[in-house]
Amino acid sequence: MDRKQDLFNYASLALFGRVNASISHELKNIMAIISETAGLLGDLSEMAKGGAGIDPDMLISSIDSIAEEIERGFTTIRQMNRFSHSVDVPIGSIDLMEVLDLVGQLCGYLAFAGKMRIHPCKDTAPIVQTSPFILQAVIYQTVAGIFQKTGPDKELNVSVQPRDDASWQMLFDGAGITAVEMPGGDGIERMAASIGVAIHWEPAEDCLEMKIPFSI
Amino acid sequence: MNILLVDDERKFVTMLARRLELRGFAVTCVYTGIEALKVVQEGAKFDVAVLDVKMPGIGGIELRRELQRLDGDMKFVFLTGHGSDRDYSVGAKEAALYLPKPLKIDDLVDVLSKVTGKTAGGRGENLSQIKSD
Repeated sequence: MDRKQDLFNYASLALFGRVNASISHELKNIMAIISETAGLLGDLSEMAKGGAGIDPDMLISSIDSIAEEIERGFTTIRQMNRFSHSVDVPIGSIDLMEVLDLVGQLCGYLAFAGKMRIHPCKDTAPIVQTSPFILQAVIYQTVAGIFQKTGPDKELNVSVQPRDDASWQMLFDGAGITAVEMPGGDGIERMAASIGVAIHWEPAEDCLEMKIPFSI
Repeated sequence: MNILLVDDERKFVTMLARRLELRGFAVTCVYTGIEALKVVQEGAKFDVAVLDVKMPGIGGIELRRELQRLDGDMKFVFLTGHGSDRDYSVGAKEAALYLPKPLKIDDLVDVLSKVTGKTAGGRGENLSQIKSD
């Protein structure tokens, strides 16, 4: 088998593994909160049986907490579902803002990630015809790579605008990226190139640019 | 028994701390490794630190090493939301006890007694006392 293709396939599978691991960690944390809150309600019930008074405000806040965590769980599962369906079609039309929204949500599950501030696109919806999964993988790995170097206290600005009459420009800046090597590694450039995306990295300017063609 | 509880999930910390306090433990809650180090550097003494493994900034493993430098007598229990074989082996390598989340409160109480050789020892609301009445 072709080694480059093997590495490419492995990188794709590794992304699935990484994203699923972070989602499962998030769901476990949610379950842990629900479990402890339910356990506390059980403890308070035992104390009430023994004649101790129960603070109604504590009961209400515990019940509200369980409801909030269930909603958080559903939100997490929705993101997992969006991510899973990104492989439904090999090539399709996608809105870059929707991809950024999903990547922002998924990166939020990484312990080392900071905040991603996605600026609205002033022009018409930035639609491209490309491989949804590979583009998402390139953007996700780039953002995760940036935060791995800059840490959880940083805020990364992301914006999309027309670059020329054949491509969009996606800019990442403001997180204090100063590392010499490309966030996400060499594999990212190869993966990006497979769908015609060019990555230009200027650490001195704290800026990374992706040129994304309207159509591959 | 004095417990330092460190986890970035605030609601989890609040609920777990309350349940431990009902069982007679004294619990100090912090949400980052940096806060944990500050509390110990300021002179607070703990029998055991219960640490989440994965936290933003200083993770549980590194935090344990730093806390041990500050207080060689402190014992450690790791909590994790991963529960992979790699996590278990990390826990074993660090010679610390390790519990996966969601955890069972009775398992945590057993582990706390095992690592410290102590019981809760607290007064006030005591859940086990009410249960035995």
